[in-house]
Amino acid sequence: MSDTSSFLKKQIKENIQTYAILLAMAFVWALFSFLTKGMYIGSQNFSNLFRQMTVTSFLAVGMVLVIVTGNIDLSVGKVAGFVSVVVAKFQDDIWFNVMPNNELLTTILSVLIGIGVGTIFEAIQGYLISYLHVPSFIVTLGGSWILNGAILVVTEGKTIAANQPIFSYIAQGYLPPIAGWVMAGALILIMFLTMFQSRRNKVKYGFTPAPIALDITRTIFLSILITVYVYIVNQYNGVQFPVLLLAITAVVMAYISGNTPIGRYAYAIGGNREAARLSGVNINKSIFKVFVFMGILCGISGVVLASYVGYGTIAAGSGYELDAIASCILGGTSTLGGIGTIFGAIIGAMLMASLTSGLQMLNVTAAWQYILKGIVLVLAVYADVYLKKSR
Amino acid sequence: MSNDIILDIQNITKQFPGVTALDKVSIKIKKGEIHGICGENGAGKSTLMLILKGVHPYGTYEGCIQYNGEELKFDKGSIRQATEAGIAIVFQELTLVSNMTVGENVFLGREPREGAGINWNKLYSDTQAILDKYHLDIDANEIVKNLGVGKMQMTEIAKALSENAKILILDEPTSALTEAEIDKLMEILKNLKSHGVTSIYITHKLPELFRITDSVTVLRDGKVITSQPTSQLNEEMLIKYMVGREIKERFPKRKNKPGKVIFEVHGLRAVDPNVSNKEVVKGVDFDIREGEIFGIAGLMGSGRTELVTTLFGEYGKITEGIIHLHGEDVRVSGSYDAMKKGISLVPEDRKRFGLVLIQSIQKNISLANLDQFSTAYRINFNAENKACDSFAQRLAIKAPNLSVLCQTLSGGNQQKVVIAKWLMSNPKILIMDDPTRGIDVGAKYEIYKLMNQLSEEGIAIIMISSDLEEIIGMSDRIMVMSQGRSMGILEKKDFDREKIMVMATGLVKNHNMVEKEKIP
Repeated sequence: MSDTSSFLKKQIKENIQTYAILLAMAFVWALFSFLTKGMYIGSQNFSNLFRQMTVTSFLAVGMVLVIVTGNIDLSVGKVAGFVSVVVAKFQDDIWFNVMPNNELLTTILSVLIGIGVGTIFEAIQGYLISYLHVPSFIVTLGGSWILNGAILVVTEGKTIAANQPIFSYIAQGYLPPIAGWVMAGALILIMFLTMFQSRRNKVKYGFTPAPIALDITRTIFLSILITVYVYIVNQYNGVQFPVLLLAITAVVMAYISGNTPIGRYAYAIGGNREAARLSGVNINKSIFKVFVFMGILCGISGVVLASYVGYGTIAAGSGYELDAIASCILGGTSTLGGIGTIFGAIIGAMLMASLTSGLQMLNVTAAWQYILKGIVLVLAVYADVYLKKSR
Repeated sequence: MSNDIILDIQNITKQFPGVTALDKVSIKIKKGEIHGICGENGAGKSTLMLILKGVHPYGTYEGCIQYNGEELKFDKGSIRQATEAGIAIVFQELTLVSNMTVGENVFLGREPREGAGINWNKLYSDTQAILDKYHLDIDANEIVKNLGVGKMQMTEIAKALSENAKILILDEPTSALTEAEIDKLMEILKNLKSHGVTSIYITHKLPELFRITDSVTVLRDGKVITSQPTSQLNEEMLIKYMVGREIKERFPKRKNKPGKVIFEVHGLRAVDPNVSNKEVVKGVDFDIREGEIFGIAGLMGSGRTELVTTLFGEYGKITEGIIHLHGEDVRVSGSYDAMKKGISLVPEDRKRFGLVLIQSIQKNISLANLDQFSTAYRINFNAENKACDSFAQRLAIKAPNLSVLCQTLSGGNQQKVVIAKWLMSNPKILIMDDPTRGIDVGAKYEIYKLMNQLSEEGIAIIMISSDLEEIIGMSDRIMVMSQGRSMGILEKKDFDREKIMVMATGLVKNHNMVEKEKIP
């Protein structure tokens, strides 16, 4: 048993930042629940809270790797905004004229075009940054101005509707409760299977896996989280489709960052660019790839944005880049590069969304919401700096 | 207490979680002496210095430090107190702002004022006065990045002296210096001594201790092993004190004879990739055999690092010359290509070029070799772990496990991680740029043994070193470089310190060599 406890201690010590932000989340939830007499964690608000955080979360998930490589992307808000107006334009203007009665096909095509536009734009920026060595700060600042103009060109200053039912489902749809349960069951099963598979693999290579009690406890804990989540949201409308989309995207990006050479190289470049270069890492290509991923995520974010608000407007996506960056930083991503996790960024985004949602419920004015969020961001990073120093 | 003791360190014990860094350390340092402190990495030298500097404030350690008869009590977070008291440290890593002038650096944070602005005239004239007083041959108006490492260090010393330092602590001051610069430093220290400045001289290099110090303290595992006048010591005794066992010879013997030629360079010329008219390699010819250790000697700026990084495909643009690998013409296009062709480079300055310090041992070792256990979509962690583990064991990297971050390792272990990374890529030619710089005697010996073992396996090793003893002790042949040129290649029987120095200063070519070349 002492084996387990020492392993546990090590885990906590290594991930102190993650646990700290989870504690902060729990504190925020408890506080608002108390102040709103429990309404805050009621199923309706709970469900909406998760739905609201998705648009910026997609951006934050991509931003982690960008910051990890030592770069920054100030254009993501406008890229998502531009994608949203392009999607709206195709959906309600172009396709509607070409093939009026083909809702599913027009939705699919618009989504693909949206993701394509985001990817191509970020790929161009990524090329300038990686291969032509223009600082990312400048490229993406310029990029966001360009897109600001492009949004005006596409919309001609008007609001374009994007509210065909199938398209709306992307950000506003819910899985039927039964489907939610089936999915949760399947997920839990997969988690247990992968756990045992990974233990078997370790043994095959001659390593001693972590204590089995610990592995099982962890998997059961995650299973309970999933079950509780599905239970709560099923009380309202069911599992939110955009949240499901975000979860899948986050898992894929977490896999890329942790389990593939692309991710490994990104962290090495951020940690020590020269050492990575001399180790045969293709720096330019790696950074370019990271921006391409960012583009895909901007595309998805833009699509969800258009579907969420139901139209494309000239103000779409304004300021989202700063929310995304703040989420990453709150989630432990180092501004110096080399350190940061997808999971942390999601929690960071959730913390920001929780604050906003709670303050709205308490009827705090927008002005004070901004002021409080600013204070929380700076305090959180100060706490992190302080924790690191005293360790 | 007698008056001639300026610093009396009494029973200092400093504990870190799980480690006792210093264990009842007592040292008496006399006024005006040069006191050497030596010991392996992790012996507690740095901790002791950080206490003297006030980085570990009063109260975080046990024991007491008497300075001029008064107890030193530094507050938490106030490093200026040590400076004001007259204790200055010249750190191993230089702490100058490279885009500022010498004068600006010397007075950084204490600029003489003139109203709200800075009195630049006073700043520069005061700086120059200090530089001249101690015969430091530097112009106060020079931008620091234009200085060599040696002069940068002198600037640091000038900075300390301008703050009226009574005790100057030098941490590994010569690790980046050439022989000529070391001579100059020794002269400066003797000069300071005559001005009544006390110096504490921390080093791994034993000859320097005998050259300059009046007394020596040896630390091992946080304890004082001995502290006595230098005149009563000799090199063997010091090594024995430091490592706790006797090392019979500093350089282990090697039995194998070099095999057939595998790598040849003819008439190589290369320019700086950023400044195309600046030639950095100006005609170099040599060949290397399997299982040979080929030394490259030369002063800083002799073009030796530029030469090997050019061969590795990561620096100079080749303008002329032929490179043969296994008898075939090759052009290396970059580090990845070099590895594929079987050339590895253990770069100079492991912290800047060798390691991702914030990452684990495992991630560092596998960084150059991910191809071996991953596809584009998946890294096989178990295979990675296993491979890294076998190299960590082979190199005897001392760490509880492979997930330990490299920044927490000692210099010797860090260097082993870098070497492990490059051995994993399975090289035929291993280039090592100053592989033992700044690491302790024990770790050096292990690296020498490893080099011998590799050469016995048939790997050709190119070793650059600033340490003449080392390059003479380890190499089969030595090429001496000066100003981007090869000054000749010495055979083992011709190895001689003075000959190498004369060639390295660029004055004389190796005549034997030149004649031999002319014969066919």
